[in-house]
Amino acid sequence: MGWILNRVTVTFALIAAVVIGWNLYVVRHDDGILEGRVVDQAGAPVAGAHVVLNEQTLVSLAPIAETKTDAQGRFTFERHDRHALVLTAGKDGVGASGRIEVRLYFRNQNRVMSEPIALGADRPA
Amino acid sequence: MHNYPRWPIHAALILVSLVMLVPFYWVFKTSITGENIFVYPPSLIPVDPQPFFYVDAWYAIPFPYFFMNSVIVAVMVIAANLVINAAAGFALTKEFAGKRWIVLLFLACMMIPFHATIVPAYLVTSHLGLLNTHLGLALPAFSHIICIFLFKASFDAIPPSLIQAAKIDGVPEWQIMFRILLPLARPAVAANVILSFIWSWNDFLWPLIIIRDVEMQTLPLGLSTFLAYFEDTTGSLYAFCVMVLAPGLLVFLLAQRQFIEGLTSGARKG
Repeated sequence: MGWILNRVTVTFALIAAVVIGWNLYVVRHDDGILEGRVVDQAGAPVAGAHVVLNEQTLVSLAPIAETKTDAQGRFTFERHDRHALVLTAGKDGVGASGRIEVRLYFRNQNRVMSEPIALGADRPA
Repeated sequence: MHNYPRWPIHAALILVSLVMLVPFYWVFKTSITGENIFVYPPSLIPVDPQPFFYVDAWYAIPFPYFFMNSVIVAVMVIAANLVINAAAGFALTKEFAGKRWIVLLFLACMMIPFHATIVPAYLVTSHLGLLNTHLGLALPAFSHIICIFLFKASFDAIPPSLIQAAKIDGVPEWQIMFRILLPLARPAVAANVILSFIWSWNDFLWPLIIIRDVEMQTLPLGLSTFLAYFEDTTGSLYAFCVMVLAPGLLVFLLAQRQFIEGLTSGARKG
């Protein structure tokens, strides 16, 4: 068994196991769904806010999709096919958000934003 | 013999080790912080570490292509080095006419830098139709003279009576080499594997000259592409450096004991 269970084979077997495990995880979580909420400064949901999804490349920022929030202030993007994103949101009369950076571990990773996007009255939409 | 305290030696060795490891630490630290190298004062502890520079590096260039090209070339180089260097080292353990001149020729060739042979190497590779191929990348690294002498020193350390016994039993020469000498020269084999792997893995100039297609590039060439296109992305660049360095470090760490034994096997007999 020594020729099988040595540090070289064990190391490469562990690496292979990690790679296979990681790829299985990626396959099960790569629908590109990005969900979140938009709220005003008081924390109340903002319906009809304009949310823009931007791609953050190494040197630039480019819009790739946009949507409106529903009555509960929720928004969803699908199949964004990117790994570095920036969200911006705004609504006339309520204000706009700053740039919200969303970094993913792989392209199309599903992600639910833990913090809502807050619109600020000091930033006009 | 004086019984000096050992702690000053250990302290000095630890200090030297830390100095040697600082560049590696700095590359790794920058790869997880993206901190510009010219920031003053520099921070020793990583500030806001995050792994996303590795994700950027992975997607910024076709890393799997570059990685597979490097692996294919390294495997070809290692296999060729083991066979050719072991055969040459075995030949040099024997007595034959002109051996002294061949050894001198080998030693003289070691003094010629590779850069001086690039033009003939390119012409030969071109005439063979191997430009822009894996075999063309690996061909000039198929044998290293240092490794030939590593094998020779290792074979010399094996008792001649063992070889004579095999000959009396009618074992052919090539089987003596592959079935008797090589298993006994494992440190030399490990040293050959590590050296040929690292030289092949880190080679930049030869791939730069003979590779034309992006999908045929190796990792060091990919690094230069990265530098050319994304000059201000320090974190991603250093993350890519770590990804290039890691396989070489892993191979060395896995075989370091045999590597050191292989390098020092010529220093003793028996």
